[in-house]
Amino acid sequence: MNAATLRLLLRPAPGSTGVVVIPAVAFAVVSALVLTVVGGAQAFWSWTDQEALIYQVLAAVALVLLVLPLAALGGAAARLSARRRDERLSTLRLLGVTGFGVGVVAVVESTLVAVVGVLGGVLLAFGLAPLVGLIPFRGEPLGSAVLLAPWMMAAIAAGTVLLATISAVIGLRRVVISPLGVRTRSTPPTPHWVRAVIAIAAVAAGFAAGWVVPGIGGAIAVITGLVAIFGVGLLVLNLIGPWVLKIGARMQLRRAKTPARLLAARIVLDDAKGTWRQVSGVAMSSFMAVFAGTGVALMNVMSSSDPSAQDLALLTDMRTGLIITLVASFLMVGCSVAVTQASDIIDQRDLHRSLHYLGVPGGTVDAARRRAVMSPLLITALGSALCAAVLIFPLLGIALITAPLSLVTIAAVLTAGIALVWMATRLTRPLLMRAFAG
Amino acid sequence: MSTAVIEAHGLSKSFGSTRALAGVDLGISPGESVAIMGASGSGKTTLLHVLAGITKPHAGRVMFTPPAGGSIEVSALGETARSRLRRESFGFVFQQGLLMPELTAVENVALAAMITGVPRAEATQRAAGWLAALGLQGMEDRRIGELSGGQAQRVAIARAQVTGASVVFADEPTGALDSGTSSEVMDALLWSTTGQGRTLVVVTHDPQVAARCSRTVAVRDGRVLGSSVAA
Repeated sequence: MNAATLRLLLRPAPGSTGVVVIPAVAFAVVSALVLTVVGGAQAFWSWTDQEALIYQVLAAVALVLLVLPLAALGGAAARLSARRRDERLSTLRLLGVTGFGVGVVAVVESTLVAVVGVLGGVLLAFGLAPLVGLIPFRGEPLGSAVLLAPWMMAAIAAGTVLLATISAVIGLRRVVISPLGVRTRSTPPTPHWVRAVIAIAAVAAGFAAGWVVPGIGGAIAVITGLVAIFGVGLLVLNLIGPWVLKIGARMQLRRAKTPARLLAARIVLDDAKGTWRQVSGVAMSSFMAVFAGTGVALMNVMSSSDPSAQDLALLTDMRTGLIITLVASFLMVGCSVAVTQASDIIDQRDLHRSLHYLGVPGGTVDAARRRAVMSPLLITALGSALCAAVLIFPLLGIALITAPLSLVTIAAVLTAGIALVWMATRLTRPLLMRAFAG
Repeated sequence: MSTAVIEAHGLSKSFGSTRALAGVDLGISPGESVAIMGASGSGKTTLLHVLAGITKPHAGRVMFTPPAGGSIEVSALGETARSRLRRESFGFVFQQGLLMPELTAVENVALAAMITGVPRAEATQRAAGWLAALGLQGMEDRRIGELSGGQAQRVAIARAQVTGASVVFADEPTGALDSGTSSEVMDALLWSTTGQGRTLVVVTHDPQVAARCSRTVAVRDGRVLGSSVAA
């Protein structure tokens, strides 16, 4: 395929504005969040005193935590972009273009949409920088230190575009572009119960470590142990998550008495792994909320007998950092849900129009797709919090007695996150209703 | 002749400057199978949508008389009332089936009944009965992606019947099928509608499909050119 043909094929089709705008906005949000979070984190790298290392390590942990929801959002945006304009892609196949050639068109298109979105994200990050600069660390606002150097901005922007390209390639593996149309592969892989066995073994090991580590003594041993347990926890969540969602959906399917409940359970069962990808960011966040919330609460108690000004500042800053990380991850999950739902609505617009013809109330389908997100989300958020609670049970027990406020913080963060995702599901309702109206 | 189940008078409908319907009068009797034939852009699908209460005409009216009696002016109803009428009194079969890919065959059929308030167990039982009657026994738990085009269309036919619809509207129901499967689907469609005393309205451009119906209505440029009764 030559460049002129490619240019012709990439020209926006009439009426495809939403199809391009949604992933572009998603990429703008992704890149703005990454630039803002990295900008905030890099402010700590300019510090050279004794305590700087702690801040730098914690900032690095926060960044690592944001990678998963970021990848989920980037992947959702890329898949949405790559799966659009299906008629055009299937027409290409009809004209004799190979599957590879059509893939190239889809991937290039996704990349271009990502470039536009990322440029918007850079502008958004510039707009957010003065606000982020107001966040206090060590008793002072971060100020202009949150602004990244131009080369770092360029690197992050390029990285986000690269993520979009890679996600588009991976996303295309899940769709079949044939001369008769573009469709999702009908049999997504089913999570196996062996995952649960491995996960239970990992939780048992982590639980044992949770009892042993505090007794070893030494701050470094405790931190190393906690980081290892944290890693085990994340591994367990990812192993067991899709399987648990599948079991939960099966139970709901058996009990379903209304069309919305039946449909919601089937949507989850249809792609438990995909559903998990959508909500896994919340799993990480709620896991971290229990884990880090307990940690901060305990440190607060431990240092309360004779706290130095530095200790107090560190604790306050850790709490601030925790909240920022949680807010960022929930924002990404919210965006990811909105983008994935928009993608599904656009994918199934013919079906939705036909349901309208059949007289199916739009509210029934809307309730089903919201339930298909919120039910796994609640299972995930509460399950992850429980998983973290089991892993650090001894420490959580101490925190419960000595600093009950930490529990309130955890509950508030979880509630806020769930509410945010619920709002994200409402965002796409007008799109669904438009699809219904035809 | 019995009272028309569907009666249309002076239907007009435009999309921008394009006139899709230009004063259509049509009456359809209970138990009849009517094929609406015409070239692409003749207004046949718009006519079906207006008759079924999917859209409202800009002028004219559509009357529906259910088996229980008492005429309803479909074209005067609001969106919510028309939706209710469609799900409770009409059935639909589309060219591509347009079944829910996440659901099994029996669930796709049962869902239509559940939406009208039938309890799940009863809806499932009714759905299984219709699937069996249409030759799909043993395929109840298959997903739509696991069925052939003809089988999927028969699921769509079962879905159109499970609520006890007195009129079934079919828009190019065999358009995506080969001639052999097309004939089988028409057999199933006719058996499940006129064979049970119900009414069938089919939009088609296929003369073979039209020939299976008791009457053919020819449409061109938004007008009914005439109708011919099958020999």
